[in-house]
Amino acid sequence: MRNFFFLLLAATLLLGAAPLLRAQGPDISILPIDPVKVSPGKASSFTVTFRINPGYHINSNKPYSDLLIATQLKLFPPTEFMISGITYPPGEEMSLPAMPEERLSVYSGTVTLTGQLHAARNASRGTFRVHGSLVYQACSDRQCFPPKTAPLAIDVKVSAAPKPR
Amino acid sequence: MTEQNSIPPVSLAPPPAPADAHESRRVHRAVVVFLVVVLTIAALVFFTHLKPLQPSRMQTAAEFRGKPAPDFALTDLSGKTVHLSDYRGKAVVLNFWATWCPPCVREIPTLVEMQKQYGPQGLEIVGVAMDDDATPASIGRFAREANINYTLLIGSDKVSDLYGGVEALPTTFYIDRDGRMVERVFGAGERSDIEDNVKKALAAAGAGAQQVEHGASN
Repeated sequence: MRNFFFLLLAATLLLGAAPLLRAQGPDISILPIDPVKVSPGKASSFTVTFRINPGYHINSNKPYSDLLIATQLKLFPPTEFMISGITYPPGEEMSLPAMPEERLSVYSGTVTLTGQLHAARNASRGTFRVHGSLVYQACSDRQCFPPKTAPLAIDVKVSAAPKPR
Repeated sequence: MTEQNSIPPVSLAPPPAPADAHESRRVHRAVVVFLVVVLTIAALVFFTHLKPLQPSRMQTAAEFRGKPAPDFALTDLSGKTVHLSDYRGKAVVLNFWATWCPPCVREIPTLVEMQKQYGPQGLEIVGVAMDDDATPASIGRFAREANINYTLLIGSDKVSDLYGGVEALPTTFYIDRDGRMVERVFGAGERSDIEDNVKKALAAAGAGAQQVEHGASN
């Protein structure tokens, strides 16, 4: 009975983990984005963090060739808001094993982008959503995959500025 | 023998009551039922996950081998329409690539070399540019800079679909003189592998006696 129990447990763990292992394609996952609290006429910072599946890399925001597709965060705020200062981390330098002389500027692993969200003086109080997307193009050492656009959204809460004492 | 050794071991735990043993069996049974349910769900997830993962990759190279290469019509850099069937009697290396793909660009010098070396024996390398915004002018500029000496065509999703949905670049099909697929390779190949496949495509029987079969043509 005990052996059967352990066999069953092992089979469950193996089968349960298999889809997760198989699903590791050339994709990224955008981690939950913290809501931004801002007062009318003020600015607040936001961060967007995403994870690139192991074995793949994407071009940085400043790839070394114009032919390569840069990673870009695109945000489309409602009219009462403005986005500025999107900051991308510097890329890691790498070269393909078969092209050691050619340098690439890429991201791999976990990447965090930051930016500022400004609320207009007349911004209404309440909760809003800023829609956007992350454009990226992934490769492994031997293959590349077509550019993709991952949708994302940042929740914004506009509340009155604290009164000065 | 010491006095300590002569003392029989004494269990401090109370002997299991019949009710406890019954409870233990019940817990065991519940755990087994739970695991069976989890196992079934995991198996279902496992098998449903197999399907959406790159359908073209689920077809093995063996399934492609010997099959007629689907005919297509694409535009070359001079604006002329080119059909795969135009190359009947020649071995064709059909290379799906893009300018934004470093492994594809890495292969180009080898393909140039192959065209030079094996062109006189009847090899035709055909590059299908899969850049979204590819135009004859943009690909032509790239081709001049890379000294490409083989045919370049402007690709389309339709043609990619004809070849099983080309998702990863480069993907290369080696087609014999009869228009049958000899090999399919995902990713950038080493020079020796590319040359081996070129030789295989050139050597395949038939030597142009038949035409390229028209699959789901343009």
